[in-house]
Amino acid sequence: MTGFTSRRLPAYGSLAAAGLIAGLALGRVEPVALAAPFLLALVAAVAWREPQVAVRVTLARDRALEGDEVAVTVDLSAPENVDRVELLVPLPPELSADGGPARAVRLRAGEEQTVELQVRCERWGAFTIGPLLIRARDTLAFRSWESEAGEPHALRVYPGEQTLRSLVVPLETQVFAGNQVSRARGEGIEFADLREWQPGDRLRRVNWRATALRGALWVNEQHLERNTDVVLFLDTFGEVRVEGRSTNDRAVRAAATLAHRYLERKDRVGLVGFGGFLSWLVPASGTKQLYQIVDTLLTSQIVHSYAWRGVDVLPPRTLPPKALVLAITPLLDNRTASALLDLRARGYDLVVVEVSPLELVAPDRDAAAQLAHRLWRLSREALRWRYEQVGVPVVTWREDEPLAVPLEEVNAFRHLARPA
Amino acid sequence: MGAAAAYGGVLADALVHAWSHASALAPGAAVGALLLVAALVFGGRGLGVALFLAGATYVGAVAAAGHRIDGSAPLVAVLLLLCGELSAWSLDERWGIRAAAPLAWRRGAGVAILGLAGLAVAALVVALSAVPSNHGLAWTVAGAAAAVGAAGTGIWVARR
Repeated sequence: MTGFTSRRLPAYGSLAAAGLIAGLALGRVEPVALAAPFLLALVAAVAWREPQVAVRVTLARDRALEGDEVAVTVDLSAPENVDRVELLVPLPPELSADGGPARAVRLRAGEEQTVELQVRCERWGAFTIGPLLIRARDTLAFRSWESEAGEPHALRVYPGEQTLRSLVVPLETQVFAGNQVSRARGEGIEFADLREWQPGDRLRRVNWRATALRGALWVNEQHLERNTDVVLFLDTFGEVRVEGRSTNDRAVRAAATLAHRYLERKDRVGLVGFGGFLSWLVPASGTKQLYQIVDTLLTSQIVHSYAWRGVDVLPPRTLPPKALVLAITPLLDNRTASALLDLRARGYDLVVVEVSPLELVAPDRDAAAQLAHRLWRLSREALRWRYEQVGVPVVTWREDEPLAVPLEEVNAFRHLARPA
Repeated sequence: MGAAAAYGGVLADALVHAWSHASALAPGAAVGALLLVAALVFGGRGLGVALFLAGATYVGAVAAAGHRIDGSAPLVAVLLLLCGELSAWSLDERWGIRAAAPLAWRRGAGVAILGLAGLAVAALVVALSAVPSNHGLAWTVAGAAAAVGAAGTGIWVARR
């Protein structure tokens, strides 16, 4: 442990020395009497010895959801009495502790003292708790000893998910079995059409009512149940962040919600983090993929970059043919806009969910700022119009709305205007 | 508040002793008081100088008053020490560390014990100074024992 001395100790020493010298110089006892208590304090300060404090840190769990509380337990012990042990659990801004991250206790010799902090997870992310900062002090805080103690513990806070009653249905299905009704016909459950019997058709497919009416064998045709490929395209080029509210935070929450729901339907889900730092996950299905996606989302961050990026930099398997590309973007960077138009030009089924930054950006009162704000909004409108011109639905997700609202808008758009 | 009261007590004692020289002592006392306030506001910087100015004001007042030995010197010494300790305690509490209640009581008890011990030592110093030299074998033995004790304490402290 590193030892420190209170700043008042040198002052006390100087005062005592000055008193003794003044007593000698003046030939009076009063300065010596003034010096005496300070000399006594110096002796008391030097008498303290460096304590040995053992620290063990444990987390109640290493995974939590946004808004959850995780108990951090610190066990302290010392072979000798320590009058005051202060411990500080360094927490990132996304985590907060009830009553603050610092505590002070007294340790008796050989007795274990347990301090428990309830850490509230305010925002998703991958964090490390520990090592702690420990400071042992004497009763009067003349001397202190500080050190780091305890092992670091990883804590993953997963983004909170929203309830969705329906999802955006991809236009095309893939070849594997799933829950999505395909447009193709074959063995399935959903009725598609009637046709005349052909050799090889199974008897159970014969529609006896149609056969009786037409005097020849007719069979039912069904739609196939197939899975789909969904690629979540997360724009991490830029964000708008105001007082803890951020477009990227909401985008990550939306991506986690969508990944969970699509994977529940046995679809394959991939992830592309498109920004200054590029990340991707090839589409796959299952619980393992969900954890991989969420873990990747936890590490997603806005990395500013001036390098031009297109979809060419993505590995080909990341964007399989006939995949639904769900872009979640604040539409702040032209590189994302160009990449998405490029994807549409390549025939991908593209949906753009615009995480609206407008609620976070309030224009100043002066005329120039208001004009700039209007121009910015106009440019966003123009960009949306460009998407709509190529048949891409662009829906705005406002801060006070649930995610289901823009998804329903997409479904409505698709009913009215089926893209080519 | 306690620190300011203790500091005020020292200055008041000094001015009571040398009221006729108050104008000469007041500037130093005022500067000291300002420094104490500054120390309490700005994290303790200047506390030592403030204590020094208060002590100097008192010594100056006593010297100006021409008393042979001022009996209130131990009390003034303890007030100065309490001023320093209470200031430091006040500054420590600003960190907002949630502490168990007994810790505050222990520190309060520690300050009180240190103050009482300081009072006793200062009173002993004043009392010993009042004893004339060659006042008998008992006082000589007591003085020698005190000297040996002081030297032993110094050695013990130095070896730790």
